[in-house]
Amino acid sequence: MAEPVLELQNVRYRWPTGTEALRGVTFSVQAGERVGLVGPNGAGKSTLLLAMAGFVAADGKIRVAGHRLARGTARDVRRHLGLVFQDPDDQLFMPRVGDDVAFGPVTMGLDAKDVEDRVAESLSAVGLEGCEDRAPYHLSVGEKRRAALATVLAMRPQIMALDEPSANLDPRGRRMLIELLPRLSNTLLLVGHDLDMILEVCRRTLVMDAGRIVEDGPSHELLSNRDLLESHGLELPLSLAAKRGDER
Amino acid sequence: MHHRMLDHFAAGDTPVHRLDPAAKTVALLAVVLATVLVGRDRFLPLIPTAAALAAYHLFARAPVWYVAKRLLVVSPFAAAIVLLFPFLEPGRPVWTLVLGTWTIEVTEDGLVRAGHLAAKFVLCSWATVLLLATTRFQDVLQALERLRVPRVFVVQLAFLYRYLWVLLDEGMRLRMGRAARDGGVGPWRVRFQSSVGVAGVLFLRTYDRAERIYWAMTARGFDGKLHGTRRPHVHLKDWIFVLGVCAAAVAVVVWDRVACG
Repeated sequence: MAEPVLELQNVRYRWPTGTEALRGVTFSVQAGERVGLVGPNGAGKSTLLLAMAGFVAADGKIRVAGHRLARGTARDVRRHLGLVFQDPDDQLFMPRVGDDVAFGPVTMGLDAKDVEDRVAESLSAVGLEGCEDRAPYHLSVGEKRRAALATVLAMRPQIMALDEPSANLDPRGRRMLIELLPRLSNTLLLVGHDLDMILEVCRRTLVMDAGRIVEDGPSHELLSNRDLLESHGLELPLSLAAKRGDER
Repeated sequence: MHHRMLDHFAAGDTPVHRLDPAAKTVALLAVVLATVLVGRDRFLPLIPTAAALAAYHLFARAPVWYVAKRLLVVSPFAAAIVLLFPFLEPGRPVWTLVLGTWTIEVTEDGLVRAGHLAAKFVLCSWATVLLLATTRFQDVLQALERLRVPRVFVVQLAFLYRYLWVLLDEGMRLRMGRAARDGGVGPWRVRFQSSVGVAGVLFLRTYDRAERIYWAMTARGFDGKLHGTRRPHVHLKDWIFVLGVCAAAVAVVVWDRVACG
């Protein structure tokens, strides 16, 4: 078996307030896999993303694309791990969408032509061609979300981790995102509560609760197990609940 | 919620819109200097500047109401000083009010001084508004970088521009949340306390957001520099414009010193 593109072993983290957010998280993701990470509020999902990118100094072993996360390697790790934050207003910090998408490639030291190509390519991948000159503040929530995705796509990371990508999206925006995500060639880690979205996009799901991975398996199996989901503060995805209702 | 942006008309396509942002920024600086250097109480040397700004305004095709509204927004800063001058400047009184042992006088010199200051304020603000009406704010920022303005200042401006409305929205939502529960009435002390609470929450949220933005930037390799992707092209017309404005500004200052001084 090839070396995993993301590997976590016994990752632990306690916030300065004393809350133990991660209590020994262990899992790995192979290249090209699309994995969902679900769990109730406070399960430690967002903290886990921060730990993976080295924003909080967690104990344990984290490897991203062959780079072991340590004090001096966080920069290399972040080059390969594209984090898409929950609130696109946090992600889009430049005055122009084009400059925002270019931000990553420019800091990577690419020349002007390559940067231009990557900006055009990434915006086109998320259906925002020609939006380079628009101000992020003038975009709709759906457009902001896709622009935020483009900012990370432009860095061509080996793995993309999205935190609650469908939060605040209307059904059309959400559908657009569901259709878009599988087209991206990157390895995906989708974090959130939108189990329907994870069911459609990811073949594998991790269930996290109280700082631990409590289940790891095929999405259709885990996400159709009502008892398992309810014991971890989750519910059957609406699509499956409706199907069962029809059968009854 | 949606706010009108500072540079609402900057996306236009007129000859002055197409001028190089750095050339326009230097020209603005020249206009402001030529205006503030005009000697005390002399109105004549301000007329060429006003005429030049009017011509630029015509070319820019920015509505008069747009400029007037923005001048009104910044006017309180000048008004506080302008309104005090008629009372503070010694000279021939034109109006006197006696209140017991207090005498309040409005002097002719004071009125002239106030008028002169108001005229200078209007010209400088008009020029600034015209720059923003014909240049996107991000291009102004890039121009400032090209003009070697300290990076920390440019980065601060960029973030202020980007997040000012986000913060205003957040503050407005908090105020709406409060109004939904107190109906906009209630004892002033309670309302004051809740206003302090709103301000405190807004500060904490700002702090949190700043941290999240920093994470988002670091996640994409932030190294302390904000790079734009637009490559500036300075043409002959930009040089003619900026040198013309600077020469005219010098001429105004010399005329003011030599002929009117």
